[in-house]
Amino acid sequence: MSRVPFYLKERLESLREKVLHEEFEASKLPSWERVVLTWAVLMAFWIVISASLEMRDLALGAAVTLMIAAFMRDLLTEDIRRSGHILEKLLYFAFIYLPQYLVIMAFRLLESNLKVAKNVIFMDINPGIVKIKTDLHSDTGVTILANSITLTPGTLTLDVSKKLGETYLYVHWIDLETLNREKAGEKIKGDIEEWLKKVFW
Amino acid sequence: MLEVLLLLFGEAVMVFGALGILRFPDVYTRLHAASKCDTGGAMSIILSLILMMDAPALVRAKFLVLAFLIAMINPMVSHAIARGAYRYGVKPEVVVDMYAWDNP
Repeated sequence: MSRVPFYLKERLESLREKVLHEEFEASKLPSWERVVLTWAVLMAFWIVISASLEMRDLALGAAVTLMIAAFMRDLLTEDIRRSGHILEKLLYFAFIYLPQYLVIMAFRLLESNLKVAKNVIFMDINPGIVKIKTDLHSDTGVTILANSITLTPGTLTLDVSKKLGETYLYVHWIDLETLNREKAGEKIKGDIEEWLKKVFW
Repeated sequence: MLEVLLLLFGEAVMVFGALGILRFPDVYTRLHAASKCDTGGAMSIILSLILMMDAPALVRAKFLVLAFLIAMINPMVSHAIARGAYRYGVKPEVVVDMYAWDNP
């Protein structure tokens, strides 16, 4: 890739972007599914915030959230992968994927708190900034991955760059163990990326 | 019993986070202490408050919204501070700096 001349490189970049865009358009959900998914999320938020189960409040909330969901259907669900029936997807997400992610992140957060306490007491730090590659391309997926990396032990995301259809993350690592990109990626990302690839594009 | 344990754990984590902000050498390592310890400590204190409070379940679920907002916003803000500090010109005390290699 580094030996390609300049004019060819630009052309190749535009071509690859086009292919990525077409793939992305083909993997989108149909619009009524997007409306229903957004409506479910907004309705759950309304029930928790209003904290009442009376018929009057529920009807008002359903009407208003349906109106908002019809307008803002691309805001939350633009990057979700297309697979399966919508009810199946909702149930899978609510009862399998979300608890899995919460359990993984809870134990990682506990471990990272203990690790920061250990670093504060012994001051055995050896910081460095490394560059790792991810297989995710959508904005929501990269955002959630960067936030999860910030909460995992000993790492902090600095910046994201997208070049030639590949996404790279710059990570500040407080206890530098390896400079190899694949090994560092495995150590930093862990199984969160596998989880995110099932849901997001 | 569990709620008292969670409360004590959260406060100990917050104390270690404050110590880390005082003891670490530069901005980026201090941000480690700030983001992780604040998120973990605040979330465990919120969980203990959920267990302690005697109120209907829907009212207690509002605390979960608060915990979700903390868990989303805190890493985002630390990321923004780190990137802003780097762009402003604060040099990190590091062994290897691949971000400076790619953005000269």
